[in-house]
Parts: sequence; structure tokens; C-alpha cells
Amino acid sequence: MTTSDALISARSLTKRFDPFVAVDGIDFEVRRGEAFGFLGPNGAGKTSTMRMIACISPPSGGELRVIGMDPVTQASEVKARIGVVPQMDNLDIELTVRENLEMYARYFDVPREVAGPRIDDLLDFVQLTERSSSKVEPLSGGMKRRLTIARSLINDPDLILLDEPTTGLDPQARHLVWDRLYRLKQRGVTLVITTHYMDEAEQLCDRLVVMDKAKIVTEGSPRDLINRYSTREVLEVRIDDEVREKLIAAMQGSVDKVESLPDRVLLYTENGDATLASIHEQGFETVSALVRRATLEDVFLTITGRSLVE
Amino acid sequence: MNAYKVVARNRIVYWRVWRTSFFLTVLAPVMFLSAMGLGLGSLVEGDRAFGGLDYRTFFATGMLAATCMQTGVFEATYPIMAKIVWQRNYEAMLASPLSVRDIFLGEMLWVGVTLAQLAIPFFAVMAAFGIVDSPMALMAIPAVLLVGMSCATVVAAMTASLQTDEAFTWLFRLVVTPLFLLSGTFFPIEELPEWGRLVAQLTPLFHGVELVRQFMVGSPSLTTIWHIGYLVALFGIGTVLGIRAFEKRLRP
Ligand SMILES: Nc1ncnc2c1ncn2[C@@H]1O[C@H](COP(=O)(O)OP(=O)(O)O)[C@@H](O)[C@H]1O
Ligand SMILES: [Mg+2]
Repeated sequence: MTTSDALISARSLTKRFDPFVAVDGIDFEVRRGEAFGFLGPNGAGKTSTMRMIACISPPSGGELRVIGMDPVTQASEVKARIGVVPQMDNLDIELTVRENLEMYARYFDVPREVAGPRIDDLLDFVQLTERSSSKVEPLSGGMKRRLTIARSLINDPDLILLDEPTTGLDPQARHLVWDRLYRLKQRGVTLVITTHYMDEAEQLCDRLVVMDKAKIVTEGSPRDLINRYSTREVLEVRIDDEVREKLIAAMQGSVDKVESLPDRVLLYTENGDATLASIHEQGFETVSALVRRATLEDVFLTITGRSLVE
Repeated sequence: MNAYKVVARNRIVYWRVWRTSFFLTVLAPVMFLSAMGLGLGSLVEGDRAFGGLDYRTFFATGMLAATCMQTGVFEATYPIMAKIVWQRNYEAMLASPLSVRDIFLGEMLWVGVTLAQLAIPFFAVMAAFGIVDSPMALMAIPAVLLVGMSCATVVAAMTASLQTDEAFTWLFRLVVTPLFLLSGTFFPIEELPEWGRLVAQLTPLFHGVELVRQFMVGSPSLTTIWHIGYLVALFGIGTVLGIRAFEKRLRP
């Protein structure tokens, strides 16, 4: 099923750290121009997968093609055409912001006369022009992340790999990063993003795979997955422990599904308000109740019985 | 071959601090040689046990080789550990078209540059003290680069397989310092007991010191080829081991 516009294709891709299996025979395909996501909890094997695509870690088994090439035998050629934003920033702390980009331009053999204006543009794009002669260390987490993104664009790549681009950032910094990634997507750059934030996956990804315990458990667009695995709405109720089991028993038949979490009960239903009304009619007193849209978190919960972020 | 890009990166960083470094690399030999020449040297003057050399010459030639070995070893410890573990520069380089081989060879080339920055001023100071008397003496400079770089390859291989930097303290205490003292640097190995002489002849520094003395004050002979061969072989083996260790560490 390999299509000609597949930028990455993997079949039975496996990574072993003997005796441990970090990626267990996964299949996926990333098409040119799309934003593709790997959604999964910590330890699912997302980074291991990204490092194989980035030609940093050799696969232990299966097939992998990146931009039509073999990431083991043609590592330098593949790397010349991709950009990498690793999970942990690895900026050169002994260089300034601008020098970080200049040095990377050299690693990538970007001609000096091209690199100069491109660096100006990139600094502007990630809003770091004013900090260009600053050292890296005093930058905030969000700024470092943006600089890493700028660095990944120095070779004008066909494909950018972003491993948890916003983990650890405050909401404002996250939105700024999302905004930049969204613009890249509009320019037609292919993005591969890993995340354990369902809102990030929903916001950025056209298509995603859900990973858990080294395997892909499902695949589709965020909307698809929500439609497939969840109801339209979710009613979250907090209720006293004594009546909790009674509520679950009482509602079992009248909603699609009930999930009992340590602090709350989730009821999957097409109409949250109606379900809440029916709970109250049956004489249950809720501590609090919230009706919300279903999310990818619910998809993950349905498939694995656990939540995405522990 | 992208190794020169690693050198370029290190040069930019070094450029910021070159004043202090340069000052120290010149000042240190001036102080040593003055102290030895005027102080200790005069105490042992006239002694014929130094291969016919005056003690200052004996000491300076030994010191040149030993300092380069020590610097080569040092450059392969903390600075490389930092780039593997603490700052993760190599990880960043590996996301570019650079390969593990480029990185390893680049770092070893850089060790060579660092050693040249040390050896050339040292040599100049020796010349100023009247120790240099033939163009052949200039060969001592590539010789000490070879000593430092060959030791660096082996130590870099070790560094890449360490989880913490604790072992470095022991490396300096148990290996570098004894080598420094016992490889014919400060006194001829003939002073050592039989087994000590044998051990000394197995050490890279002994070969380095011999080479420097042959080029600077003696005359090259067949043994010169043996000394060079030993160091070249060490460099080759160290490079193979080093690239393998880097590969294992950086591309798990
Ligand atoms: N170099 C390594 N050696 C041994 N185990 C590893 C190594 N890298 C990752 N792992 C293990 O592989 C599993 C998957 O890790 P990772 O790919 O980082 O997951 P994720 O990015 O989804 O959190 C984890 O259990 C992790 O401990
Ligand atoms: Mg990860």
C-alpha cells in the first residue's frame, strides 16, 4: 500500500534494547504535506520511533524508508533533507542564539550567502531577532524551543520531526509554538509530531496513530477516532464514594459506556445534559458535574482503559 | 569528510577564551624552564646521567612530551563527556549530515590543534633558552602532537563508555601522573629497576620523550621508526575503538 507520495513508510518497524522491546513491529505511512502525529503516554516508544526516522538510531528490524531512502545506508543524504526538534533541547550553550544557527548552517553545508538572510528570516519567524546575540542559557523554555525549531529549519527541510514540541512549556509559550507550527503546515512542510497531549494532537495533526506499549493501537484523523471510539459528549461527575457503585450500575444500560476513574465517573453519551438530568431524577446527588466534547483522551481511555497522562 | 566542521565549532568557542589559555600555555613553560634552569638544574649540573644532556635540556624535552600527553588525555575526558552527556552537542550534530566518524575524527583533529597551540609556544621558549640548535628539532612538534593525539583516541574511547566522570580522577592519579614521572621525563629510565624499565618502554610517553630527544638533541636512528610506529599504531587502534565506542553510545 506504499503510495508514491509517502514521505515515510514503515513496515514491521522494530526497536529492541535487549531484552526490552521499545517499538514492536509498527506499520505507518506519512504523506507529503500532512501533519502526522504519534500520540501516546510516556514510554510508548514515540521517541525511539522518531530517532529511527531521524537516522540517529538504527532499526532492529522491519523496513523503513524516509524520503525514498534507506536511513541506515543513506543517513547523511536523508538527514540533509529533514529537520529535527528533539524531545530535550540540545542547543549549543557555548554559542549565542545566532551562532547556533550559523553553526548548524555549516553542518548542513548551507552556502554562506544563503545562510545569512535565511537566519534573519528564521529569527524573525520564531520571534528571537532581539535575542540574536544572547547566549542560550538565559532564554526561557519557550524561547529555547523556538530556537530549536528555527535550527531545524536551517536546511529548508522537506520534513520536520518534532518530539514533544511543547512538553514543559506554560500555556502561553505552547500557543506560540503551536502557532508557528501551524504556519509551517500552511507552507506545505510535512510535520511529524509526537505528543502525550491530546489537545496538541487535535490541534495540529491531520492524521495520527495512537501508540501504547510499543505498538500502534489505532490510526485515523482526530475526528474519525473520536467518532469511532467515543460518543459525541462526555459527562464527568464527581460523586460520594458510597453511591458511586450504585450510580455506575444504574447508568450502565442507558449510556454507551461508563468509565470509573479514581476521582470521577465518565459517562459516554450523545446528550450530556439529558443524561445528567436523568441522574438527578433517579435521586443521585452529584458533588459536581461537567458536560464536555469527547477528546482523544477518551479514545485512549476506551482503547487501553488508562488515561494518557498519569 | 565533515570532520573539519567539528574543529570549526570548537575554534569559535575557544576563540572567546584564547587570551587566558594562550597566556597560560606560554607562561607555564617559561616558569618551569626558568625554575629548572636556575634552581634545580644547577643542583644536578655536571651530572652525566642524563644521556649526556644538561639537566635543563633533559627536563625541557621530557616536559614538552609529557605536557602534550597530559593535555591530550585531558581533552579526551571532561570536554568530551560534556558533549556526550551534559550538553549533548553530539546528539545535535548527529541530526545534521555529520556522522559519528566525522565527530570522532573532528574531535581528535581539534586535540591536535590544541596541542599545537601548546607545543609551539613551548618550543619557542625552549629556543629562547638556547635549547634548539638545528632545523631537525622542529620535528619534535609533530612528534608531540602524535603523542597527545594517540593517547586522546584511547581515552576518548574510554570516556564514551563511561556513565559518570568519577573514573577520570583515577585515570589521572593512577595512570597519567605515574606515566608523567616514570617515562624518562624527569630522570632517565635507567634509574628504574629492571621491571620498571620494561613497563616504561611499553608506555606511549616513553616513546614520545625519546622521539623529542632524538629530534632535538640527538640524532634520529632506526629506533626513531620504532617509536613513531608505536605511536601511529596506538593512534590507529584508539581511533577504531573510539569510533566504535562513540557509535554504541551515540546511536543506541
Ligand atoms: N537507549 C535505551 N536503552 C534502553 N531502553 C531504552 C532506551 N531508550 C528508550 N528506552 C526504553 O524504551 C521505551 C520507550 O521509550 P521512548 O521511545 O523514549 O518512549 P516515549 O518517547 O513514547 O516516552 C521506554 O521504556 C524506555 O525506557
Ligand atoms: Mg519521548
